[in-house]
Amino acid sequence: MTDLHIVVCMKVVPKTEEVRVNPETRRLIRAGARSEINPPDMNALEMALGLKDRHGGRVSILSMGPPTFEPYLRVGLAMGADHVYLLSDPQFGGADTLATTYTLARGIQRMDGADLILCGEESSDGATGQVPPGLAEWLDLPQLTLVTDVTIDAVARRVCGRREIRGGYELLAAPMPAVVSARTACNEPRFMDYRIKRRAFEEGQVTVWRAEDLAADETMIGARGSPTIVSGLDEARVRERRREFLRGTPEEIAQDLLARLGLLD
Amino acid sequence: MVASRYTVEEQRQAIWVYLEQTSGELERISLELLSKGRQLADRAGWPLAGLICGHQVRPLAQQALAHGADEVWLADHLLLADFAVETFAQATFAALMQGRPSVFLVGGTPNGRDLAGRLAVRLRTGLNADCTNLRLDPRTGILTSEITGFGGGVLALLEMPNHRPQMATVRPGVFAPADADPGRTGRVIELPLDLSPEILRTGRVKRVVGRGVDLTQASVLVCGGRGVAGDFDMLERLARLLGGEVGATRPPADEGHVERERQVGQTGVVCRPKLAFACGISGASHFVVGIQEADTVVAINTDPEAPIFEFSDYCIVGDASRVVPALVRALQERRGTTHD
Amino acid sequence: METAEPRTLDDGLWDRLSELTEGAADLCYQCGVCTAICPWGLVREEPLPVRTLVRHAQLGLSDAQDALWLCTACAQCEVTCPRQVPVVTVIRALRQLRWERRQTLKGLPSVLWSLYWNNNPWSQPPSRRGNWAQGLELPTYDAEKHEVLLYVGCTCSYDRRAQSIAGALVKVLRAADVRFGVLGEGEPCCGEPALSLGHLPYFEEIAQKTAEVFRERGVRRLVAISPHAFDVFQNHYPALDEGFRPSHYVQYLADLVRTGRLGFDRSLDLALCCGGGGGRAWIETPAGERFSDLRIREAAATGASVIATACPLCVACLEDSLRAQPLAGMQVLDVAEIAARALGETA
Repeated sequence: MTDLHIVVCMKVVPKTEEVRVNPETRRLIRAGARSEINPPDMNALEMALGLKDRHGGRVSILSMGPPTFEPYLRVGLAMGADHVYLLSDPQFGGADTLATTYTLARGIQRMDGADLILCGEESSDGATGQVPPGLAEWLDLPQLTLVTDVTIDAVARRVCGRREIRGGYELLAAPMPAVVSARTACNEPRFMDYRIKRRAFEEGQVTVWRAEDLAADETMIGARGSPTIVSGLDEARVRERRREFLRGTPEEIAQDLLARLGLLD
Repeated sequence: MVASRYTVEEQRQAIWVYLEQTSGELERISLELLSKGRQLADRAGWPLAGLICGHQVRPLAQQALAHGADEVWLADHLLLADFAVETFAQATFAALMQGRPSVFLVGGTPNGRDLAGRLAVRLRTGLNADCTNLRLDPRTGILTSEITGFGGGVLALLEMPNHRPQMATVRPGVFAPADADPGRTGRVIELPLDLSPEILRTGRVKRVVGRGVDLTQASVLVCGGRGVAGDFDMLERLARLLGGEVGATRPPADEGHVERERQVGQTGVVCRPKLAFACGISGASHFVVGIQEADTVVAINTDPEAPIFEFSDYCIVGDASRVVPALVRALQERRGTTHD
Repeated sequence: METAEPRTLDDGLWDRLSELTEGAADLCYQCGVCTAICPWGLVREEPLPVRTLVRHAQLGLSDAQDALWLCTACAQCEVTCPRQVPVVTVIRALRQLRWERRQTLKGLPSVLWSLYWNNNPWSQPPSRRGNWAQGLELPTYDAEKHEVLLYVGCTCSYDRRAQSIAGALVKVLRAADVRFGVLGEGEPCCGEPALSLGHLPYFEEIAQKTAEVFRERGVRRLVAISPHAFDVFQNHYPALDEGFRPSHYVQYLADLVRTGRLGFDRSLDLALCCGGGGGRAWIETPAGERFSDLRIREAAATGASVIATACPLCVACLEDSLRAQPLAGMQVLDVAEIAARALGETA
């Protein structure tokens, strides 16, 4: 099955420890923060490239975001992906899960579908983890979520995923096409291949689609298509550890600690 | 803007919680949702309903009522005997379209997230995921969900004023389950269901319980270093009581006190547990890398200057060989008094 | 008798290896001194088969054996090799081939990704690179004002133990009135992990970028805390500007001592005599005129607690002065005594 087409949904996120909230406007200050590819999406990409190694075919990266995402997504090309599709339009801005999954689904339809759609488990900025099932619903496809390993039967056109469950694991199977979400840290993403890196960064295939290219319903995209509004924003304690010293006899410390951890409920 | 399948005008002022069950037992998250749901319902003066999907799950209705539900909706069908997102989404969708609650809460478990993600799209409504707190304004009926993003660094409050149901998945372990009141009664509504096996596309090929260790999946990690002097049995006891796994720095793995696959850090496994203990570990970077994604870190070390304390939430200056057994005893005593 | 598997030599691979090693393996005549000297033989039944690895490089064979990753680049084999084969270079080339074939060890790609996203190999936030110096008020390097760029490096920036090395060096440089600056959060990684793990193209990319930072900042004299950083700056970086001079801090401190900026104000050619030379050990010098009194005060001013000498007359004069004006904690020791102490003094 050399025509196997895998789409990997990826997102560029600011490095978590560098995001701040403006105390007056209560808005996120992303400016100046370094970005990276959402780490779970790297696991999804590795999963896709592993399938391409075994079965051939091509891997496309699909992302929704501003043009500044482009150089980051090219990292995926340098890892071995074949094409980047960036859905970029100011109208897409402010999208919640409903609008995001709708837009991504339109993107997949625009590229005439895929045999497999891989996503990371969740994103480090919003951490909703609801993109994979939402996307599956829009496309009316089966979903295998939180899998740590995936195999495909090219002839029977079936995908099989291994999912960790309490005390063990289960193998789930579904007909392709299907949506699969990769468990965070389930594999080690390969480093960029420097024999193709220059080409990936200078000539690599990047297609940018705007709302009109997707024939998207304007009421379904961006802030307009999003039921959810952010009514407040605050900086939770910065990702510093609490560093609270507990004192007393071992018995007193044990009681104190278990109470603080909520383990005495 | 796209309208939800039922609107604010068509909603009923009620809070529904999805009650996840496995093999005829309500999951702990279900009791947590009932407890929080009860609190919200009381303040708003709304009824609280529990929705149970499964096969031959009627006996669970009484348990749900005892834990705070005013009514229980039962979707009981042979095809719901095992969780599959296709059938469960269809049953839940049918129930919601009939009951039209203003608020619908689902546990943020793997199956709960699978279900909620599909349902929200099917209902054309919003979904606030992995919430750590919830508020319901009794006057406006608006649910405010607190979520954290950016690795816990940013806290956001989310609302959906114009779409129904107001859906949220709730992070397990955030709300304490309330005690049961066996005297409580309420209505049990059986939902007529029309499910056919054709809609099932995903299937379980195999299920295996019992396996080699995979620390990346552990929710609690009890790690030991040089400072525990090879006494990993005590760490094992603590890990078992907490439903976790034992990990180690390189020296104990080198010395064969634990299997190599339990080595945590740069040259071992990078883990992201909810809770990590670092016992007798100094805290060199190559180890810290392995637990820095943990939600909470507890360190026990005799050296008050040990770098590990920089990376810990709770710091205990002391000998792990005294503190760990004290923790084990405290947990065992606790276990003796509860069924947990 | 065992029969060996027949093996096919791959011409393409042979060319590639020859190119990667620049023919470095060709000199080897397979005497095996390298395998014999390799310290892995001290701790393993099966030593690191250096000779075989070099043979593979000569023949264009590539086995995915993990032995390749054992090498610590200690270079004992290079020192003893009768043919001066640059073994470490050969091993790096073999490792590079592994990167191309994705046959590295688990965990190594993550190290390179950390360099890529975090600018350090320890998976630490790049924004916290300068945090170790909180409260030290270190100035950002400015070529106009500073004579030296202190290159702290990733490990000294993030590792708690190593941070105290950086702190100690700051103290020493300040004591010598060295005008120095740091790059703080903007300090680039030197790329040594990429080089030593054998990812040469990535190392070259880092080296280009880092060299560009040094060029933009007008760095001339650079003092590195880690010898690994010093090694790559000195031996593996592209030609930086004329006048760019990296040093390891030990070399730099030696320079400071040599030029009299560190230690006694009066030192080397101008060092102050204890007063006992020229036969004056046998001639009385009145109190208040003794050089040794001055000398112990000079020693105390440096913050030292031991005055080392290698002359019995110095010991006598200096200790006489110490008795007359005790300086807390100050001791006079002969070099032989210090050496014996280091050995664990015997009775």
